[in-house]
Amino acid sequence: MSPALAPDVVLAAAAGNVDPGVVLQAGDWEFVYRNRRFLLYGAGVTVLLTLTSVVLGLLAGLPAGIVEVYGSGPVAAAVNRAGVLLRGTPLLVILAFTFFVNPINVGAFEAATLGLGLRSAAYQSQIFRGAIQSVGQGQMEAARSVGMSQFEAIRHVVVPQALRRSIPGFQNEFTIVLKDTSVAFFIGLAELLTRGFNLFTQPGQSTSVLEVILAVSAVYFVLTVLTNQGLELLGRRFAIPGTGGER
Amino acid sequence: MSDANALLEFEDVHQSYGEEKVLRGIDFEMERGDVEVVIGPSGSGKSTMLRCVNRLTEIDSGTIYLDGDPVTTPETDVNALRRRVGMVFQDFNLFAHRTALGNVTLGLREVLGHSKEEARAEAMSQLERVGLANQADSYPAELSGGQKQRVGIARALAMDPELMLFDEPTSALDPELIGEVLRVMRDLADDGMTMLCVTHEMGFAQEAASTISFLDEGSVVERGPPEQLFEAPEHERTGEFLERLTSLHGGQHG
Repeated sequence: MSPALAPDVVLAAAAGNVDPGVVLQAGDWEFVYRNRRFLLYGAGVTVLLTLTSVVLGLLAGLPAGIVEVYGSGPVAAAVNRAGVLLRGTPLLVILAFTFFVNPINVGAFEAATLGLGLRSAAYQSQIFRGAIQSVGQGQMEAARSVGMSQFEAIRHVVVPQALRRSIPGFQNEFTIVLKDTSVAFFIGLAELLTRGFNLFTQPGQSTSVLEVILAVSAVYFVLTVLTNQGLELLGRRFAIPGTGGER
Repeated sequence: MSDANALLEFEDVHQSYGEEKVLRGIDFEMERGDVEVVIGPSGSGKSTMLRCVNRLTEIDSGTIYLDGDPVTTPETDVNALRRRVGMVFQDFNLFAHRTALGNVTLGLREVLGHSKEEARAEAMSQLERVGLANQADSYPAELSGGQKQRVGIARALAMDPELMLFDEPTSALDPELIGEVLRVMRDLADDGMTMLCVTHEMGFAQEAASTISFLDEGSVVERGPPEQLFEAPEHERTGEFLERLTSLHGGQHG
């Protein structure tokens, strides 16, 4: 967490980079253009936050999905309840907990990662649960019949196939997290939307709200499309030959 | 008490799924090198009987011995047991994400701890044995049903099992693909492999089986060499069932 990510600090730094006099008197699109680096920096934070959140969601969500299918007893029950709780709580409320109520004092970026990541884990666990269940009991039986333990069977037979089947659902989840990073605005993280807000709330720039918001949403759109295409390629790269997924 | 000569022995084995009783006291034994064919109407417990041997299904009471060792006790190392017993499934159950070679090497690598080269060499020799060395790099979805089942057999054989279980290995195959699988099974029988086969291929049973067991309603109704069951069955039910089977699944698959 670089301290420069706190919005007021960043804004001050940006104001130092750009001649405020010129920028503030420019036309609305020119205003956006002159502040493109300020916005792109925010886009960088958005991308970074998306990655950390999705990875946290994957690291927690995949084991959670496995436990929901194969687990039993108090651990499985706890995992299940945590998922229900997270899926039943608005993201803003989760962020309020990870940032404002968090007994450990963390920066906005960490708090946003934790909140977005945990919520994503709760949804990813369901993507993986469905994918694992779709692999079929026969694969598990075949693996066990050659003497693999349940863990070995999950690791070498079930999960490799389940991950491939998870890609379409994961694609959705990835883009949802990407767009939902914008709610980190709520805890003041200087991501893309926050930076846009910081621009059009500059004195005398209230007329540029539309332009700034259009520019910001264009960036989200491009990022979403690129993400989808990247994951599409990944899916094809790992498609099992003969099953029709590869091109 | 376990018979010293028997490789596989069932002693009053009962099994049920919930309220539904499937096996009602199976007593049965086979010796090393025997080829036992189990026949019986749908729901008679044939597949369950097989699955109890490697504990894919757990029994309620009784004991199953493998080479004198009780395998149905809580102390039994299930993974070690399964290494000694190969299984071939009706639906092949090939690992869909691995090539034919990868299907055979996985157990060798992960269970037996072979090196990559060792596993590959062993797997290739097993694929050769089932006539599929040239398909080593094909994925299951790229193979015909008969080829898939032969890979399934190679995968089980690679673990060097003492006993092979065949659970209706040709039931999911198109008629023209059954022959190639039965040929592999017959070769195995000729090599002296101990085989417990649930199959309705009467040609195979007549030619390769040392004994046929007729299972009905969870118990062995009649058991004997093929000639006896085909020509002079002691029980009426056996005769009727065999007659129907033979008219459906005669020896045409050669």
